[in-house]
Amino acid sequence: MTQPVLEARGVVKRFGGLTAVNNVDIHVLPGEMVGLIGPNGSGKTTLFDCLSRVQDLTEGSVMLNGNDITNVEAHQVAHLGLSRTFQVIRVYRELTVIENMELSVQWGEVGLLNLFRRAPKSVTDKADGLVDLLMLTRLRDEHAGSLSGGQRRLLELGMALMSDPSIVLLDEATSGVNPSLIEEIKERIRLLNRERGVAFLLVEHDIRFVKDLCERVVVMNYGEKLAEGSPDAIMENDAVIEAYFGADVADDEDGGAL
Amino acid sequence: MNLTQSKPLRIVAGIVATALIIFLLVLPQLSHTKDSELFTLTLMFTSIALCINWNLTGGFTGYVDFGHAVWFGTGAYVTAILMSRQSSLVPQEWPLIPSLLIGALAAGLLANLVGRLTLRLSGAYFSIAMLGFLVFMREVIRVWRPLTNGGTGLTLPPARNVPLWFYVELVLVLALILFTWWLRRTRFGASLVAIREDETGAEMRGINTTRNKVWVFTFSAFSTGLFGSMWAYQNTALEPDTAFVEVRTIDAVMGTMLGGLGTVLGPVIGMIVLYWLREVVWANFLDYHLIMQGLILGFIVLYLPKGLMGLFGADAVSIKRLFGIGGDDEEGRSSTFDGMETAMDEDGNLRETERQPVTLDGGSS
Repeated sequence: MTQPVLEARGVVKRFGGLTAVNNVDIHVLPGEMVGLIGPNGSGKTTLFDCLSRVQDLTEGSVMLNGNDITNVEAHQVAHLGLSRTFQVIRVYRELTVIENMELSVQWGEVGLLNLFRRAPKSVTDKADGLVDLLMLTRLRDEHAGSLSGGQRRLLELGMALMSDPSIVLLDEATSGVNPSLIEEIKERIRLLNRERGVAFLLVEHDIRFVKDLCERVVVMNYGEKLAEGSPDAIMENDAVIEAYFGADVADDEDGGAL
Repeated sequence: MNLTQSKPLRIVAGIVATALIIFLLVLPQLSHTKDSELFTLTLMFTSIALCINWNLTGGFTGYVDFGHAVWFGTGAYVTAILMSRQSSLVPQEWPLIPSLLIGALAAGLLANLVGRLTLRLSGAYFSIAMLGFLVFMREVIRVWRPLTNGGTGLTLPPARNVPLWFYVELVLVLALILFTWWLRRTRFGASLVAIREDETGAEMRGINTTRNKVWVFTFSAFSTGLFGSMWAYQNTALEPDTAFVEVRTIDAVMGTMLGGLGTVLGPVIGMIVLYWLREVVWANFLDYHLIMQGLILGFIVLYLPKGLMGLFGADAVSIKRLFGIGGDDEEGRSSTFDGMETAMDEDGNLRETERQPVTLDGGSS
């Protein structure tokens, strides 16, 4: 059996008396596309934060490419091959698009001297390549703060890819993006997955987006893993329908609603 | 409109700067220049240096240090303790150069230790913690009589050479400006701006934010400590209330805000203007100068949030953003409404921008 890129076991996250994530196991195989869905407040983003070390775990462990990252510092996670995007877009607004990209490459730990240099040509070329891929060429030297919401989503995706990750966590990459651009993003993700073997774990409210991209879907509700399986199987799962639409729908329509 | 990119303006600015530097270099050689005038200018260099150093943490990194004067005081006091005979713990008189360096290093070391704790705080918490540390240090100096001679203060050997120190500080300030300009262009400098813009994002993208914050804080304190040391030596006498004084922080903050936060030249221009106001204008309104200082601060916050550099279109940070007032809504926020891109201009009015069609072939059409 191949070793998973990312494997979390028994993840528990409590905020005071509130258990946001309760004993969740999740894994992603190399080059796999996994969707993570669930109603609002079901703990998806908190789970993401635990996996990417934005938050400390209350219990459980996370393995990334065979390294235990449960207790490493957050900035080391990117070096070990995991990058992510955020539900609330995080770009450096006072820096230009290309500066945002260059800054996201992993070379800070190579040596202290590298910190006190400008980006070498290879880094700039790589950044330009991704800027082209993500259709941001025209905006290369604009401040990220002057970009529209959709363009910032693309930039954030580009920044996540600058570190040559083996897995990318996408947190609602399509929210606030217009439909034609969503199709584009979908194509780019598929391309990256196929050509570079990047694995994706994505939180998404757009069910179609998940269905088109993912081989496997994990459903969360009230902080617990409710179901897991192929997109088609998930759509017919009574428990999932109940979580999304309430018990009545599940009883009446016998699972055909989604 | 970004005037800082306009060539004629850059040439004019370059000529003015060169003329100013030549004037300053020649000034001590002119026969009618008084030492007191040179000393006033030396104090201005000190204030400019404090602005530049404060701007490294406050403007670039976004950590507003309300206790910056503590590094000045630490440098000054360590140098004074070493050079003065009045400290009963260190009675011998140390030579000048080691005393200055140890003073600066002490400020840097202290900042490194304190920064490791306080730089975990964000926003106003950090600012207040640093203000508290300033008061704490002043009282420690006052109480620790054997070392510091308490509230009476210390006297240093009178060995003043005003023109020499005028030159030393001028060169150091010019070096600091060049250093800031260079630093902003490195990955380290860019990472500081990234920390200001989005610290969690920066950390997640592999930037060791804690280390970079502590480093820049340490350097800032070291540099301010050095100027404090030189001030102690030139002033020949100091006490807790003159070495650790809040006004010195306020000056650094005001000068930087007036010039433009997070820019290389903003702190320099801001402090020169502030000094000019103080020496020329306020001299005629002695009774009211504090009132005017307050009014100017209010004016900057309300009408000049990006400072003088911002007037010329430089990438200065708005004060309101730095202090988290208005947050994301403050400027340049764009929202998508029915496919029509709208963005808010600086007055908060919606302006319509031409809709840019999404193209599938790289968007460069």
